[in-house]
Amino acid sequence: MKNFILAIASFLITGVIVHAQEVTFQATVDRNEIATGDPVKLTIALGNVSSASGITTPDLGGLAVLQGPMESNSFSSINGRMSRSSSRIWYLTATQPGTYVIGPSTVRVGRAVLQTDPITIKVSKGAGSGSSAATNEAQKRDQNLFCTISLSKNKAYVGEQIIATYTLFSRYNSLQPQDYDLPKLSGFWAEEVDLGAANWESSLRTVNGLQYRVAVLKKQVLIPLRSGKLTVAPMTLNYLVNPGFFSSGTPVRIQSNSSEITAVELPPGKPADFIGAVGELRMEMKTPGTTVKANEAIDLTIRFSGRANLKLIDAPKLGLPPDFETYDPKISDKISVNGSGMSGSREFQYLLIPRHPGKYDLGDMTFSYFDPNSGSYKQLRSDSLYFNVQPGDANSSASVGTSSKMDVQRLGSDIRYIRTGDLELRRKGEHLFGSGKYIAGMVVPPALLLLLFLWHRKREEQLSDLGGQRRRGADKVAKRRLAEAETALKKEDRNAFHDAVGKALEGYFADKFNLGVAEVNAAMIREKLGTVDEGRTAEEYINLITASQMARFTPVEGKPQRQTYDEAAAIISRIENQIRG
Amino acid sequence: MMRQLLPLLIWFCLPALAYANNAQLLEQAQEAYANGDHKHALALYDSVNTDYTSAGLLYNIGNCYSKLGDMPHAILYYERALRLAPGADDIQANLDLERAKVVDRMNQLPAFTLGSVWDRLQGGKDVDQWARRSLWACVIMVVFAASAILIRRNSFKRIFLAVAALALLFTVLSTALAAYRVQEVESRSEAIIMSPTVEILGEPRKGSTRLFILHQGTKLSIVGEQGDWQEVRLSSGSVGWLPKEAIEII
Repeated sequence: MKNFILAIASFLITGVIVHAQEVTFQATVDRNEIATGDPVKLTIALGNVSSASGITTPDLGGLAVLQGPMESNSFSSINGRMSRSSSRIWYLTATQPGTYVIGPSTVRVGRAVLQTDPITIKVSKGAGSGSSAATNEAQKRDQNLFCTISLSKNKAYVGEQIIATYTLFSRYNSLQPQDYDLPKLSGFWAEEVDLGAANWESSLRTVNGLQYRVAVLKKQVLIPLRSGKLTVAPMTLNYLVNPGFFSSGTPVRIQSNSSEITAVELPPGKPADFIGAVGELRMEMKTPGTTVKANEAIDLTIRFSGRANLKLIDAPKLGLPPDFETYDPKISDKISVNGSGMSGSREFQYLLIPRHPGKYDLGDMTFSYFDPNSGSYKQLRSDSLYFNVQPGDANSSASVGTSSKMDVQRLGSDIRYIRTGDLELRRKGEHLFGSGKYIAGMVVPPALLLLLFLWHRKREEQLSDLGGQRRRGADKVAKRRLAEAETALKKEDRNAFHDAVGKALEGYFADKFNLGVAEVNAAMIREKLGTVDEGRTAEEYINLITASQMARFTPVEGKPQRQTYDEAAAIISRIENQIRG
Repeated sequence: MMRQLLPLLIWFCLPALAYANNAQLLEQAQEAYANGDHKHALALYDSVNTDYTSAGLLYNIGNCYSKLGDMPHAILYYERALRLAPGADDIQANLDLERAKVVDRMNQLPAFTLGSVWDRLQGGKDVDQWARRSLWACVIMVVFAASAILIRRNSFKRIFLAVAALALLFTVLSTALAAYRVQEVESRSEAIIMSPTVEILGEPRKGSTRLFILHQGTKLSIVGEQGDWQEVRLSSGSVGWLPKEAIEII
């Protein structure tokens, strides 16, 4: 009977709400900070078992047993199934201040061995009956009511999502919230997670041996905007504890812990097409078609979806040629923020107007985002964009048809490309000037010229020598011929005479002017002797030659042979006198 | 017999082999550059440049440095290329782009009109241009003089002699220019600052009076040297000393 009452009492104190089917095995204390001499109640409860071996006594870690163990058993029948709950209770105390650890207790249920968590008891020096140290401690953090901020991670990249959970722990039966101060956030982009009305969780949570009712007050998605240490300031809450029918309750002010996040800058090597997204991302690109008309609008839709900081994605730059008029995109979001972060999609809708007909192969578009799981940048690649822009209807737009000239826009500047093909390499320090080839090239042609000149001069000399001799000898040869003619005259050989006179005259002329005998004719004689005696000598000379030639073939003679002979001798000596060789 | 000839044969073939090897390297470098691997392209061009040079090669090296963001080296190689081929507009254009990045603004002396004519005259496609011209002029002179000697007609003779005399004049002039070009190309009278900043000092000694501070990419004339120090003159005319390792001679 006594055991039964104790069991009920313990049930009331701890307020266990037992789930029917679940085997539970827990060690709890009523408080874990005591002053020396104060009692602490340790309960080890086993619930929902059909049969179990005995609960072992845990290592009490040096605490003294005031009373116990006391055992209590209870049976219940739910849906016709019998189950048993049993518990053992000790009252413990410590005489020396310090930290005591109650070790785990074990129980064998069927084949499984269950184990309780160890419990740490802090014992401060008690001052007689009161325990001011314990109350001091309690003021710092109320054992019965406190609030925590927990973060899904303490180290994150800039732009990565962190979930902050604000949880209230309470051991009071009844609480009435008054007001609260939200933590101040700087350096974060915060998104509230919609939880609905805050509610107590159905199960209790054990923190260091004490059991609490737990409520998640608030969840936030935090996105660091800059690198460095970022702090989530503590949250402050005011509650009225145990308001009753007659009392308004005790006001309690609690403050949560503050949390710190180390935000890491994104690694270097940020791609040029980075759009600021951190997370996991997919891309879809939609165009109405490839064949469009000039001056008609094209809707180009780019949708990014996935789990990322979607609200921070910048409008991607399309980098279209200036022939396309581009307007700022329309952004439509379908983003949901829940306990696992921000997810959904963000859509950019671009309006493009091609101004000139033609075929435009715009290639594929690439956008990069950062994947914090792999710690690297990843690239999204669209299908390649191709537009066949056909001439627009002439009536559809007034601007069509008017020859609107466009300045050629300079889009960027870059160095000119490398030279390809033959680079005309040469060994260092080698030049054509001063090389053997060059010297040879400069010396050989003039040397050849010199040789030519020398050869030519020599030849000229020889030639002029020959001519001079001939000229000088012309008189003698003529005289010899004339002598022959005289002999022929004496012999009365008429033919030989005229032949000798003709030869003397022609030969003399040829020798005198360094000509071949064949070159002697009337024109040549006129040219060479034209200056002498105003041409009379020339005519006379021609007459004489003609006369001697005529006489050779005809028996008739114009004048006596003697006269012909004298005239020939006279004209030769006259020419000899007039023209000096 | 063959064994004795073999070294001779190799000795004769060696330049041809080296040339073929160079052609291969240049092709690889061109490909690497086209693929955007400027570092690899630079290494290949540099390996060719150890023994060989040409305006095109130096220009390509300058382009590699420019793409790698090494402005002072790019300027250095463009200047070297421009020295070999003073008229080349691609080199000049890229050099102007790189020079725009130089911090120091030097007031360049305005080009003297006659001086620019002289520049154009002494310039040309490459170092050997004037040497080649002088050779051609010499040949023309010889041909016309020979014709004048051999020809009989007096009127032609005179014209040919006049042409030969003109050619002779041109030969002498172009030879002088060729000599000047070689001397200019081989001269080491200009330098580019390589270190990001450098102090120009009054004396060749650490801790002497600081005259001014210059930055990378600025061009200087070299006046003299002493130990590890180089005496330089700026385009403004000021003269000072700086450590040798801070600059690279064009």
